[in-house]
Amino acid sequence: MKIAVVVQRYGAGINGGAELHARYIAERLSRHATVEVLTTCAKDYLTWKNEWPVGTETIRKVTVRRFPVSKPRDTADFGRRSAGVFDHTHSLNDELQWLDSEGPRSPSLIAHLHKVRDDFDFFLFFSARYYHAWHGARAVHGKAILVPTAERDPAVGLSMFGPLFRGVRAIMYNSLEERALINGVSANQSVPGVVVGVGSEIPDRTQPWRVRKKFNLKRPFAVYIGRIDENKGCKTLFDYFERYTREFPRGLDLVLIGNAVLKVPNHPRIRSLGFLSDEDKFDALAAADLLIMPSPYESLSMVALEAWALGKPVLANGQCDVLRGQVVRSNGGLYYDSYDEFAESMFALEGSGPIGAVLGRQGREFFRRHYAWSVIEKRYLEMFDKLKRDTATSTPEPWPGWWARRQKNLPPARRVVDNVPSGPVLR
Amino acid sequence: MSDMQVKADAVDVEAIMRQIRARVREKRGVDYTEGEVQELAKVKLEQFLDPKGVRSDLVEQFRRRRPVSAAPPNYAFEDDTIYATHRGLLRTMRRLLNPLLKLLFNPQPIAEALHIQSKVNADYHERFRQSQEMDTLYYELAHNLALEVTRLGIEVHNLKMRAESLSSRMDFDERRGRALESVVQYRPPQPRQSPPPAPRPQPPAPTTLVPPPSSSPASAPAQSLAVDGTTPPAPGTESANAGDAERRRRRRRRRRRPGQTMGDQNGATSGAPAEAETADWVAEGGHESSDAGPDEQ
Repeated sequence: MKIAVVVQRYGAGINGGAELHARYIAERLSRHATVEVLTTCAKDYLTWKNEWPVGTETIRKVTVRRFPVSKPRDTADFGRRSAGVFDHTHSLNDELQWLDSEGPRSPSLIAHLHKVRDDFDFFLFFSARYYHAWHGARAVHGKAILVPTAERDPAVGLSMFGPLFRGVRAIMYNSLEERALINGVSANQSVPGVVVGVGSEIPDRTQPWRVRKKFNLKRPFAVYIGRIDENKGCKTLFDYFERYTREFPRGLDLVLIGNAVLKVPNHPRIRSLGFLSDEDKFDALAAADLLIMPSPYESLSMVALEAWALGKPVLANGQCDVLRGQVVRSNGGLYYDSYDEFAESMFALEGSGPIGAVLGRQGREFFRRHYAWSVIEKRYLEMFDKLKRDTATSTPEPWPGWWARRQKNLPPARRVVDNVPSGPVLR
Repeated sequence: MSDMQVKADAVDVEAIMRQIRARVREKRGVDYTEGEVQELAKVKLEQFLDPKGVRSDLVEQFRRRRPVSAAPPNYAFEDDTIYATHRGLLRTMRRLLNPLLKLLFNPQPIAEALHIQSKVNADYHERFRQSQEMDTLYYELAHNLALEVTRLGIEVHNLKMRAESLSSRMDFDERRGRALESVVQYRPPQPRQSPPPAPRPQPPAPTTLVPPPSSSPASAPAQSLAVDGTTPPAPGTESANAGDAERRRRRRRRRRRPGQTMGDQNGATSGAPAEAETADWVAEGGHESSDAGPDEQ
């Protein structure tokens, strides 16, 4: 079996959620099939500037073929077009221009997909919202499997994604909430789909004392891992935590791991360690009492899965359907909708508290049951087998004509998403 | 305040969240959702509650807006005012014809009324002037009151926060204490790093078992040592042993200090002794993260 993994960026040093997800899947599937990664030369997800050379290389035993991005992203233009399609009535042509503006626009990658269509059994497209997935899935119709990594943001509500979600051979969802959202916006229940998610490279042994000594972490602490950004809910987290420190002078400290886009408050109980190696990250996670996930938008939190793998409870933002659903389904943590719930949950989850260890244990069991690599690989392979057996061919949905594409009659994408019922899927 | 109830090895997150919400309701009195809080914020309730919203520049505002009030025009009205003129001939003619005028109507009441009105006007103006001066005083008073209300409001707010903080700390300590107690209660007893020697048949109690009536409390450690079968210390070494025991107790207490972790222990010492101390501390319910891998925890 030969499989192509198509993703917007790829590299050992890229830690973005979808890109890391793609790399893990490519490396794991390469044990069962011939895998080739088709990607761009971009390294930065904001500019999509070509930073890697065009051509082929091997990363961790996986062949990677890179194609140039035809033009970097114009941030102002993208912002303007986003406002137009998200908040106003617009045309299909506006959406296509938005997709071009978002990038990474790489016509040579799409041309290559047309060319090698018959060389591969399946093409796994990661991140539905980008140029490569939308154009690529059309280029290899009948062989495209989508890993949408979709969050509850307005982009999912764009009309042009409906045919994509309905036209691929199968969809590998990250969570039940993601599947409910995509089913809601595109009515694609007939497309084979399975909730898979992704595993993680959990070290066999961690050394929490080592990271405590290295960073002089003397007190018990909660850890946040990820980009320190307002969009990730960090501002609210800082507000809540500063209030918590006033009320609980002997409570937990907060340790932040990741690059800071947002200014970290100068507070004696908040420590920002910056971007750490995987070894340090896992040691810090093992040393922490709990992991905090304040992000209101997530399709799947790999860090939360890693915390559960290490038996640590997770305190999640209750506004994020996916995180809340995972926390409830796993019984591996708590969630908060207000400051009071945040403070109470922090107390409940700390190491010397009554339930933190029990929830951590249940989270670890949840991880083993659903996110162990053996489970993930099995689900992918089962899906490939199923699709191979199912020889039914589908025809792509007819594409609107020149005039129809310019009719401004599509509803604002935000309204489309808002109309889809929200909330965690508990059953 | 109720503690978190965990009755089984497996816990249900939704049940815990219900307990947390109940606790929040108990603490706050009212359980507002974020949406409800947003609704309340839209009413700008804070404008009325926030002491910073009270205007403290009333006097300046008043002085800026107070019009420069000149005395209103008035007139003097006497009996002969209606005949007055600067022309002498005309004045003479009016006086000559006055009887004829009085024959037609009586101007006297009109003159008196206007005279009174003139006096009323003057009186009113005087009162108005006094009222304006009083207004200034009232505004000064209101200003001072506003300042005092603001100060009191801030003080009340601070005291409330302090009381809340103290209450939370007390609650936190109490619950932490209970949690630690429960951990100690349900942990199986673990062997100490250096177990005490097995009890053995005691020799007949030495005479020192019965303290002399004059023995001081400081001699108690020496007596207990004698009970354990060890040689009672010489009088000269007694205080030294007591000091050692006290120092050991102090060290143990330092080890058990809340918030201290394995990192502290390792920072202070290294190797097996530190691990042994940490193991002791964990057995006593202290906070410590395990360094075992996921499969070993």
